[in-house]
Amino acid sequence: MINPTKTIDFPAFLASTVHDMKNSLGMLMNTLDEVVETCVSKGCDSGSQLSLMQYESRRVNNNLIQLLTLYKMDMDQFSLQLGEYDVYELFEEIILQNDSVLKARGIELIMECDEQQIWFFDRELITGVINNVVNNAYRYAKEKILIRAVEEDGFIVISIADDGNGYPDAFLTTDVQQSTGVSFSTGSTGLGLYFASMVAVMHKNRDRTGTIEIANGGEYGGGCFTIRLP
Amino acid sequence: MIDLQKKKFLVIDDFPDFIKLMKRTLFALGANNMDEARSGEQAIELMKRNSYDIIMCDYNLGAGKKDGQQILEEAKHSELIRHSTVYIMLTAENTMTMVMGAVEYQPDAYLLKPISKEVLGKRIETLLLKKADFENIEAAIARKEYNSAIALCEEKIKTSPKNKLEYLKLKSDLCIRAGNLEAASVVFEEVLAIRDIPWAKLGRGKVYFLEGSYLNAREIFQAIIQENKMFMEAYDWLAKTLEELEDMDSAKRVLINATEISPKAILRHQNIGNLAFKTNDFDKAAEAFNAAINIGKNSCYKNASDYTGLAKTLVHTDSSEGALEVLQAAREEFKGDRNAMLQTSVAECTVYKDLGRDDDAKKSIQEASKIHASLGGAVPVQETMELAKACFSVGDKATGISFMQEVVKDNHDNDKVINMVEDAFEVADLQEEGAKIIAATQKEMIKLNNEGVSLVEQGRLKDAIDFFEKAAGRLPENKIINANAAHALLMFMEKNAVSDKYLFKASQYIDRLKRIDPAYDKYKKLLFMYEKLKNPT
Repeated sequence: MINPTKTIDFPAFLASTVHDMKNSLGMLMNTLDEVVETCVSKGCDSGSQLSLMQYESRRVNNNLIQLLTLYKMDMDQFSLQLGEYDVYELFEEIILQNDSVLKARGIELIMECDEQQIWFFDRELITGVINNVVNNAYRYAKEKILIRAVEEDGFIVISIADDGNGYPDAFLTTDVQQSTGVSFSTGSTGLGLYFASMVAVMHKNRDRTGTIEIANGGEYGGGCFTIRLP
Repeated sequence: MIDLQKKKFLVIDDFPDFIKLMKRTLFALGANNMDEARSGEQAIELMKRNSYDIIMCDYNLGAGKKDGQQILEEAKHSELIRHSTVYIMLTAENTMTMVMGAVEYQPDAYLLKPISKEVLGKRIETLLLKKADFENIEAAIARKEYNSAIALCEEKIKTSPKNKLEYLKLKSDLCIRAGNLEAASVVFEEVLAIRDIPWAKLGRGKVYFLEGSYLNAREIFQAIIQENKMFMEAYDWLAKTLEELEDMDSAKRVLINATEISPKAILRHQNIGNLAFKTNDFDKAAEAFNAAINIGKNSCYKNASDYTGLAKTLVHTDSSEGALEVLQAAREEFKGDRNAMLQTSVAECTVYKDLGRDDDAKKSIQEASKIHASLGGAVPVQETMELAKACFSVGDKATGISFMQEVVKDNHDNDKVINMVEDAFEVADLQEEGAKIIAATQKEMIKLNNEGVSLVEQGRLKDAIDFFEKAAGRLPENKIINANAAHALLMFMEKNAVSDKYLFKASQYIDRLKRIDPAYDKYKKLLFMYEKLKNPT
């Protein structure tokens, strides 16, 4: 019998449900990819709607991944899988993942990275952070998004810049390192930046720690997100 | 893009729709030779019959079922997959709490679902290229030519800056396998100078452990866990270190902490059981052995000692009847496995003794002795010693002593084993007699070895080979005898000509040394000699 007064472990419930949702969403996304492919090759005219579906499902997927990861971090069940990765290859993969959706909106994703560039980080986490920023830029960029990596003073500096109108002032004045905030007035959940700052902080090398930064201007005059990893 | 048409795929998932989807995606990437399995059992059967190039395995295959990690362990353990096989673990979330087994049992990649066709194609291509890059080294490792493999690694480190760290990691591991701890240390220091990388820290700790600097080792392993509590290998090494320091309680606690984080590691439960038993913590021991038995049902690491351990524990908690049931279950589970039957019979003796059924206890001993004889020396020291103790317990002093002599003969220069033999004699109230037997047997072995050595010194290498081979046949666990058998063979080939037959024989003795004591100084030298003869230039 269900006892309505029994208190449930709501966060655990939420996490396991999110996990289940993610499985369904995964099937949905892969199937959608197949539909898009056959549809495009047949020259159907629902291309832009389908691409919007792809974009939105990716957004949901990114959010779910972030929620689950933050949950695990909160429960102290998360461990960084630090490895040495090829940054050039990682960027190529990001482009493969996002290019078709961005192209459908007339946005070009450009990468700048030394072919020999390698660095130490948690690949899934950093991919998550970059995908999330690129996904946001999709909404604001006009024609171009640049992802760039350079090595600077013992850090890898990965930045994502667009040619949109940039971040609203309210965003720029809050301390992104401490960002935990849900702001209902701006409609931002703050999840993406919070996740990014958590990921940055988890990356440490000896006495140095990763940081994030958001600014306007950047390479193309729009918003620019930067994550620096030691 | 690599042509996937010629590659054979195996897709493992409990969810049929996912298998279909994955196969369609792979097909779109050019693959057309694909098998599917819905369970671990099915996957293992397929791997026995086919040789796969790429295996795509979902981690979670349902509650209570073999998971992706267990399939991988079994496939590697039973050599169902090749070194060049790419094993990809698919997971639905990027938290690795469930995985992280021993390093040698890690998949080539973890991929987060969902994964788009383009990204999957690219990852498979990268993995195949990387496997090809490591092919020569893997082949040398498979031939156990560790020094050649190290030389190949060094070449790659110079020419392939992108995978430098991975080659360094492999090199350090090979140095340890070849018994060259100093060279391994150099690699770890080199890596740690660049950055604090957990595997390099662990490696430094392992070197301390192997050198016997247990306090230094403990400090390092503790620091690793402090910084990264999910690094499971560090717990196992810390526990081993604490055991060497004879702090059994702490060792047990460390492993219990580890199982709370990663509950499926069967070997860890086995260790907890043994430690808990040694520290008279019988409730914990029973819990741990039960866990090992349950997990063992899906694992290639199931072991009769999980059952015998539980049975012996139950004797201490006044449930000897239950213990007999456990041992009966072991007889069914390990039918046809003589080593398991030996262990079971010895444990039965203990249980019957406790129940006051002395005749049954004696019968168990007879059965155990018979199995022991049929195994012809291929019995782990621990088992022979248990058998000897059981003999003492039923008052069969003469048989017990003869088993103990066997143990001493095989391990006359191993202080740890000799101490255990002394303890066993003491428990059986045979302290003085035991000490005499040990001393006499040790003396006999030293004499035996000296006889062979003198043949070498006289230049009678052929006779020395015959002598040591005969001795090593009777003493498969004796370090110095096996080392000298290999040495005589290698010296003969150095002087005369290299022959496949002698090379093969030498490699078998060297292999024994590696198993008995990988830190043994002579092992390193013999391996060098062997590889030099096998691969001149």
